[in-house]
Amino acid sequence: MARTLTQIPEQSGTPIHSQAGGRASEKAVDREVKKEPCPRAKKLRDLYFQTFSSASNEFPYWYTRRYNQLEGEIPVVRRAAALKEAFSHLTPTILPGELLVMGKTHHYRGSFPMPWLSEGYYMAKEDELYKVALAKGSSTVDELSQFGNGGGNVTQSFGNVVSIAGKFGMRREEIPALLRTAREWVGKSVDDLGHKYEQMVPAYPMKEAVMRAIVCMFDSGFTLPQGREVINYYYPLEYGFDGLIHMAREKKAEVAGRADGDGWAGMNRLYNYEAVVLILEGIQSWILNYAKEARRLADFETEPQQQREYRDIAQRLDSVAHSKPTTFPEAMQMIWTVHVAVLNEDAISGLSPGRVGQVLYPYYEQDKAAGRITDDEVLEWLQLQRVKFTCIDCFASMGVVGGVLSGNTFNNLSLGGLTKDGRSAANDLEKLIIEAAIRCTSTQPTLTVLYDDKLPEDFLLKATECNKTGTGYPAWVNNRGAIDFILNQYGPEGMTVEEARAVAIGGCLETSPCSWLPLHLNAQEYWILGGSGQPTSVGVHFISLPKVLELVLFDGVDQRTGQGVYPPHGKKLESYEEIVAVFQHYFRLTVDCLTTTNNIQHDVWRKQNMAVFNSLLKPDCLLKGHLINELGYRYNGTYNVESCGTINLVNSLAAIKKLVFDDQAASLEDLKRALSDNFGFKTALEVGSFSLAEQERKDETGKWDRIHYLCLTAPKYGNDDPYADTILKEWENWFCRMCHDYESLYAKPMYACQISVSTHAPMGTATIATPDGRLSGTTFADASLSAYPGTDRNGPYALFESATVWDHSMSQNSQMNLKLHPTAVQGMQGCKKLLALTQAYMRKGGFHIQYNIVDSKMLRDAQQNPDSYRGLMVRVAGFTQYWVEIGKPIQDEVIARTEYEAL
Amino acid sequence: MHAHDSKGLIFDIQGHSIHDGPGTRTLVFLSGCPLRCNWCSNPEGLWLRQRLMYKPLYCKNCSARCVPRCAKGAARVVESASRPIIFDRTQCDGCDSMDCIEVCYARALQPSGKWYTVDDLMRVFTRDRCYWGSGGGITLTGGEPLLQQEFVLRVLERCHDTGIATCVETSACVPRTVLQTVLPYIQWLFVDLKHMESAKHQDGTGSGNELILDNIRWIRGTNWPGRMVVRMPVVPGFNDTVANAEATAGFLVDIGLSEINLLPFHRLGTTKYEQLGMAYEYAEQAALSQSCLERLAVVYRDRAITCYLGADTPF
Repeated sequence: MARTLTQIPEQSGTPIHSQAGGRASEKAVDREVKKEPCPRAKKLRDLYFQTFSSASNEFPYWYTRRYNQLEGEIPVVRRAAALKEAFSHLTPTILPGELLVMGKTHHYRGSFPMPWLSEGYYMAKEDELYKVALAKGSSTVDELSQFGNGGGNVTQSFGNVVSIAGKFGMRREEIPALLRTAREWVGKSVDDLGHKYEQMVPAYPMKEAVMRAIVCMFDSGFTLPQGREVINYYYPLEYGFDGLIHMAREKKAEVAGRADGDGWAGMNRLYNYEAVVLILEGIQSWILNYAKEARRLADFETEPQQQREYRDIAQRLDSVAHSKPTTFPEAMQMIWTVHVAVLNEDAISGLSPGRVGQVLYPYYEQDKAAGRITDDEVLEWLQLQRVKFTCIDCFASMGVVGGVLSGNTFNNLSLGGLTKDGRSAANDLEKLIIEAAIRCTSTQPTLTVLYDDKLPEDFLLKATECNKTGTGYPAWVNNRGAIDFILNQYGPEGMTVEEARAVAIGGCLETSPCSWLPLHLNAQEYWILGGSGQPTSVGVHFISLPKVLELVLFDGVDQRTGQGVYPPHGKKLESYEEIVAVFQHYFRLTVDCLTTTNNIQHDVWRKQNMAVFNSLLKPDCLLKGHLINELGYRYNGTYNVESCGTINLVNSLAAIKKLVFDDQAASLEDLKRALSDNFGFKTALEVGSFSLAEQERKDETGKWDRIHYLCLTAPKYGNDDPYADTILKEWENWFCRMCHDYESLYAKPMYACQISVSTHAPMGTATIATPDGRLSGTTFADASLSAYPGTDRNGPYALFESATVWDHSMSQNSQMNLKLHPTAVQGMQGCKKLLALTQAYMRKGGFHIQYNIVDSKMLRDAQQNPDSYRGLMVRVAGFTQYWVEIGKPIQDEVIARTEYEAL
Repeated sequence: MHAHDSKGLIFDIQGHSIHDGPGTRTLVFLSGCPLRCNWCSNPEGLWLRQRLMYKPLYCKNCSARCVPRCAKGAARVVESASRPIIFDRTQCDGCDSMDCIEVCYARALQPSGKWYTVDDLMRVFTRDRCYWGSGGGITLTGGEPLLQQEFVLRVLERCHDTGIATCVETSACVPRTVLQTVLPYIQWLFVDLKHMESAKHQDGTGSGNELILDNIRWIRGTNWPGRMVVRMPVVPGFNDTVANAEATAGFLVDIGLSEINLLPFHRLGTTKYEQLGMAYEYAEQAALSQSCLERLAVVYRDRAITCYLGADTPF
C-alpha cells in the first residue's frame, strides 16, 4: 500500500510518462530522442507530472480584507484596490532551471477560489470540510489508497491535504481561513446576488426545471464569467507598465469632472482610470516581488550557472515591471506575466494567447538579425512556455471544471491566417512554435491552424507532421469561414474586412474578434494583433437537444425524474412537421428563460466584479475610458447560445420521420414505449458504464428488437444520405437564425456556438433512450459534426459530404473530430495526403477538423469498445478491414508497432 | 448467380486511401480472382459471388432468428459465448437468397460483397473527386478486377470521359485481349508478381506464372504511356529468398523496368477467414523481419532498380 509520489499518478491513470492525448511507453520515448523536450523543459514538465493541483488562500484573503476596508468606495475603485492588494501579497516562487517565471500562486500548479463570484459551494460543504480539517492525520494510508482517477487532481482528501472542488488539494490548516473568507461573501457574491434578482424573471421556475432536468448545464454569470476570448498583449508591449500608468494619469486629468456629452457614463471615466492606475501598480509590485525573490535565491546559490540565471531573471523582471520589452526573452516574460495577471483577476477558462507567433515575431526577427538569439534558444523558451501554460489550473465548481472542461484550460494558440493586407501570415517563428509542440508534447497551449489557401505548403506540412504526434493538435480551422462569421456578427459594430483578418480562436473553438495595432520596436513599425472582443461562450450554456426532444415526445415531462419541465403541449404529434414545430416552441422557451436569467447574473458581475486589467488591455478601453462593463471593448456582441447532441437529435428526427411517418413501420406510441423501456436493455446506471458497447440486455423476449433494429438502421448522418442530411440542414438554418432573436445584456444579438466540450457525457447520462437507437444514459455523439460512434459506415468522404450540407459560417463554429488509424497517414506521403484531406474539407466549407491519429490509447480503447470505433480502418496496401474486426493478438501486434513507429 | 452484365460485385470501397497509387485515392475492391494465393489477405474477394460473412463480435446472441430462416438448415446454435452460431459451409456457400441476413438485427451477418451499377460507382467517384487533391484518383483492385472485365471497362471509360485518373492493380493472370481493351483507359498499373519460378508459383497460387510474365512483357512492349509498377508480396517461406529476388530483378532489367514495390506479408486478414468459415494456412505466421526486406532490397538496388518497401513510396 505504501506509495511513492510517482506511484500515485501511476495508479490514478496518468503515469509519469503520459503525454497529452495518449500514453507513450517509456521505451518509445527513449527511441525518439530527436523529439524529446530540451533537458530544461523535460525536467520542469516531469515536475508537473509529479505535482498535485493545489489551491491557495492568499489571493482571496488579501482581496477580501481590502474589499471590506473600502466599503462605500466607488465599486470599480474598490475592486481595483482589492486586486492590487491581492497581487502585492502573492508569495513568489522560482524553481531552479526556470527561465520563464511567475505563476498563479506559490504552488507549481494550481489556482485559488474566488468567493466573490460564488461561495455557495464551500458553504454547502462547510461542515464536511471542517470535519476533514479537524480529523487526525493517522489514517493517512487508508485515505491515500482511496485516491481515485485524475492524474494530478486531488479528488479525495488524504493525509494533511483536503480535497476541494473535486480537483484541488489544500493544506488542512488553511481550510478554516478558506471558510472564513468564503463566509464574508454570503449574500454578496455574483452567485447570491444574481440569484436574488434572476428570480424576478417570470419564467424563472421554468429555468429551475430546465436546470434540474439537465436540459441545460451551468449558469454563466458566476461560473467562468470571462474567457473563450483572445487576450491582447499589445499595450504593455508598446508602452510598458510605467508608460501605461503615465497614460492613465494623464487621462484622469483630462476627464476629471467632464461628461463630454455622455450624461450616463461620461463621468465614470475618472474612476475607471483611477482603477487602471491601481491595478497596474499592484501588478508592478507583484513582478518586483518575484525579482526580489530571484535576487535572494542568487545570493544563496553556489552553482555559478544557476546563480547567473537567477540574476538574469531578476534583471528581466525589473525591466518588465517598468519598461516595454526590447528583446525576445523580455517579450516572452512580459506576455506570460500579462497572461497570468488576467487569469488571476477573474475565474477564466480559455484565455487564448491568439496568434502569438505573429505578436512575438518582431522581437524574434530583430534578435536573430542582431545575432542575440539562436533558433535553439528560441525553441527552449517556447518549450518552457508550454510547461508554464500546462501548469495553469482553473478554479470553478467541480461541475464546470470536470463536467464541461475535463480539467482543460483551453489556452489555444492560433497559427497562420492572413495579414492585415491579406497575405499569408505564417512565419518562421510559428514553425518553431510547432516544433516546440512536437518536442515538448503537453496539454497547453493547444494549437490551431487558421487554414487559408494562401498559406505556404512547407508550413502546412509542418503542422501536419505535428498532427502525427498523436496529441490531437493542431486543430484545423477554416480562416475564410471564420472571417465570414466575424464580419456578419460584428459588422454592425464596425468590423471591416481588414480587421476581420485579425481573427483568432479563443478557448477551444470560439471564433473571436481581434484587431491590428502598430507596435514600434527600434524605430520599426509592425502591425501586431490581439483580442478586442468580450468573452464568448457566455450567455446560454449547452442545451441538450436530445433532452428537448424527449420532452417533446413526452408532453413536457422529464422521463428520468417524472417532473414537468415545460407546459404540456397537449398535441397528438400526428406529423413530422408537428413534432418539429413543438420542438422549436420548447427550444425557444428554453433560450428565452436562460438568456434573461443569465443576463441578470452577468449584469451583477459587471456592476461589482468588472475586469479592470483585462479591460485595459483591450482596444479601446484606455482610449475611451470605459471598461468592459461600459461597452469599452471594440466588439461586444459576443454572447451566444450553445448546443449539445446535435447529431443525436438529427438521427432521432430521421428515425421518427422514417419509421413512424414515411414507412409507418411503427406507431409513435410503440416507439415511445420502446424508448421508455430502453429497448429492453438495462439502464447505463444499472450496468455501471456509460459506454454504448457495454450495455446489457434485460429483456430476453426480444420484444423491442425489431423496433430497435429499425431505429438503428434508419438513415444516419455521416453517410452522404440526403434523408438525414436534409434534417441537419433544416435544423442549422433554423437554429443559427433564431439565436439572433435574443439579446445579451449588452443589447447585442446572440449567435449559435456548436461545441460540446465534455457536456455530451453528463447530458447523455440524464437522457433516456433516443429514437436513433442510442440507449438510456449513454454518451451523446461528441462535437457537433462528428458522426455518432459506429454510424458512419462509408468513410471520411461521405462524412464530409454530410457535414457540409449547411453554411458553417452562420455559426461561431462547428466541430468535427475524426479518428484515423496511424496506417492511414504513414510517411511524408501520408503527411501530404492528410493535408489534401484537410484542404478538401476546408474548401467544401467545413469549419473545423481535428485528427486523432497515433494514439495507442485510442487503439486500446477500440479493443474495449468496438462499437464506438466501427468505422476505424486499418490501411495497408491493397487490404481492406476494420480495426475492430481484427483479432486481438493481431491488434496487439499493430499497437506494439504503432508505438514503435510513433513520431 | 446470373450474369450481371451491367453490375459489378464489389466487396469494399475505401475513401482516402494513400497506399495504392499516387495522391489520395478511392479504392474499389472487386470480387473474384483467378488465383488462390495461400496467404491472401482478402479472402472475401476470391469468388465472383456473394458469400455469408458471420461476425461473432456483433452477434448479440438473440433468440437465433437466423436459424429458422435458413432454408438449407445450415445454421445451428452452439453454446459458445464467443461464437453462438455455426454455419455448415458446405450448404451455406451455395446459397443465393441469404434470408438469414435480413433477420439479423445486430448486423452480424453480412454478404461478402454488394452489386453496383456503373452509375452507382460513378456517383461515389463524383462525390469523392473533390477530396483527392492533386494527383489522386481511383484504384480498382480486388480480387482480380479484370475478372469483371465488362463492368470494369465501362467504369474506366466513364472515368476517362470525365477526367478521373485511374489506376488498376492486377495479377495480370488474365487473357491478353482483356488487357488490350482496358489499357488505353488506365494511367497507372500495379502488377502483382508472386514468384519467378513457375512451379513455386503453382504451389503458392494454384497457377503457373507464364501468362503473368508474358503479359508484363507484352505491356512493356506496347507504346502505352502509363506507369507500370511491379509489386511483390514478400511471403515468409515462399518467396523471401535472395534467389527469387535475383531472378525477379533479372526479369525487370531484361524488360527495362526500373522499380519494384515490396509488400511485407501481414496476417491482418485472419479474422476474415474466420468470418467466412475458412481455414487460414498463415494464421500463425510470424511477421517478416525488417532485415529480410532490407536484404532483398539490396539485390534490387544493386541492379539499379528502385525498391520501395511497404508504404514508403514516393507516390
